[in-house]
Amino acid sequence: MSLAAEAFVSQIAAAEPWPENAILYQPLREDQILLSDCASSLAVQAYLRMLGLPVRVQCRANAEYMSPSGKVPFIHVGNQVVSELGPIVQFTRAKGHSLSDGLDDVQRAEMKAYMELVNNMLLTAELYIQWCDENTAAEITRPRYSSPYSWPLNHILAYQKQWEVRRKMSAIGWAGKTLEQVYEDVSQCCQALSQRLGTQPFFFNKQPTELDALVFGHLFTILTTRLTTDELSEKIKSYSNLLSFCRRIEQTYFESQDRDSQLGASDYSKGPSLM
Amino acid sequence: MELLCWGGDWDLPSVHTESLIVLAYAKFAGAKLTVKLVDWTWRTITATVPQLHHEGTSVTEPTQILNFLRQNRFNADYELSAKQGADTMAYIALLEEKLRPALLHTFWVDAENYANLTRPWFASHSPFPLNFFVPSRQASVALSRILLTKAEAPLHSVAEVEGKIYSEAKECLNLLSHRLGSSHFFFGNTPTSLDAFVFGYLAPLHKATLPSAQLQQHLKQLHNLCQFCTNILKSYFSEAASGSAPASQDAVDANLQKLTQLVNKESNLIEKMDDNLRSSPQHRPSRPHKPEAKPSSLATARNLTPA
Repeated sequence: MSLAAEAFVSQIAAAEPWPENAILYQPLREDQILLSDCASSLAVQAYLRMLGLPVRVQCRANAEYMSPSGKVPFIHVGNQVVSELGPIVQFTRAKGHSLSDGLDDVQRAEMKAYMELVNNMLLTAELYIQWCDENTAAEITRPRYSSPYSWPLNHILAYQKQWEVRRKMSAIGWAGKTLEQVYEDVSQCCQALSQRLGTQPFFFNKQPTELDALVFGHLFTILTTRLTTDELSEKIKSYSNLLSFCRRIEQTYFESQDRDSQLGASDYSKGPSLM
Repeated sequence: MELLCWGGDWDLPSVHTESLIVLAYAKFAGAKLTVKLVDWTWRTITATVPQLHHEGTSVTEPTQILNFLRQNRFNADYELSAKQGADTMAYIALLEEKLRPALLHTFWVDAENYANLTRPWFASHSPFPLNFFVPSRQASVALSRILLTKAEAPLHSVAEVEGKIYSEAKECLNLLSHRLGSSHFFFGNTPTSLDAFVFGYLAPLHKATLPSAQLQQHLKQLHNLCQFCTNILKSYFSEAASGSAPASQDAVDANLQKLTQLVNKESNLIEKMDDNLRSSPQHRPSRPHKPEAKPSSLATARNLTPA
């Protein structure tokens, strides 16, 4: 989106309140969605729940192609479509809903820095494990990614995506890494997050911010997704404060809200629970 | 230890961000590096720069080199708490994700800067016939990195991402400026690896004479970041600093290095007080006092250095 278009959109956005019929689109939950997309989708859901904005989750096999940026998840609010957490945060702020207004400049800088740490390390590691580890790619990623399509399109699309991700990995210098090095990076990233969180309930003490939503999305998804080995989730399990952080957000924003609103299973899209 | 890196220009020890990071960290940690320039050799095209050689092993990539130096007891982050270590990682990720794409664009993709500054510099520092290949190869690496990491779909053109990467980079500079505030370094009074990274990213942008300079203009408005670069250049890379360097380079102990810095700072303070005294009305100086103040402070620093 160009800057002018962005400014235009945010002006329009400010005019209208958040509608009741907002929809979040993601790939099919059971058969198709991949670890990284699931994490991003959960982060957006957690963010919107922290703000108390209602959104209905719809699974579509072609969600990736419906999205304006080619990335999932995206939300459809009124007559606008916004994809990914960063732009969605801007969009909700334009509508007057924000989690980080109480932070000062230094805290905001710190929050942005940690969000980039999660994107730079956890998200990239997820992509690496999905597409560059041949075991995972052959057993899980390619079959799942291409599950809605028939032969020969399934092979073409899966290999095309794999080629794309691998090109990205070599551009950022991850192509030469081994799986062990990637696990080591994940471990370092979790250690940094764990140190930053300390004994606080959220990263910036009492109030959740978009950073909490992002970290929760990634850690929770890694913890509850079965891969070829469980080495990735083991890395997180060694940090007890991160585990209880995930548990706390799950309880506060997913379980209790679902119980209160009685929306039932159709709105409950987080997948399996911790415990 | 021998470091292979791109040479310096524009008042910088190296024009290359990654090389600058390593050079700055080595100064902060008191590691003695023999700098070997890659300029005018065939390694401009074969080697990954910067590259550290030590007793048969070679390490590339700034993060790996910094880790290697830490393992060899050259640690500038010795005094950081665990949380500050975590912050360091986070801010380095912020620089990589938000600032690096725009820097690559400014130096390698922006047509005016590339034609008038970057290509001439790298071409004139590569041997014939590599001067025809080295700049264009680096430019295409930079462009593909920007497109692959920032473009929304694989076939989009660079024009569509320009606006986005520049606004992200300006935001990143603002965040860094807020974080630095009025302090000398990011974590108190001694420089750490985060300072080395920020310096490596900002110094070329601060010093290069760019024909098309929208990001540079933005940096110039953030005075504390400019001051930060100037300070590091002055206290670690200027002639005066290299004059006092031999004394500190013998000191392997990082604490000794810190003591030296402290003494330097104190002698600067004394110098300032001295200046103030001399410029006070009852003691009008008969000669200009600025030039002679410098060597005297150096002498004190040297005398007080235990090594």
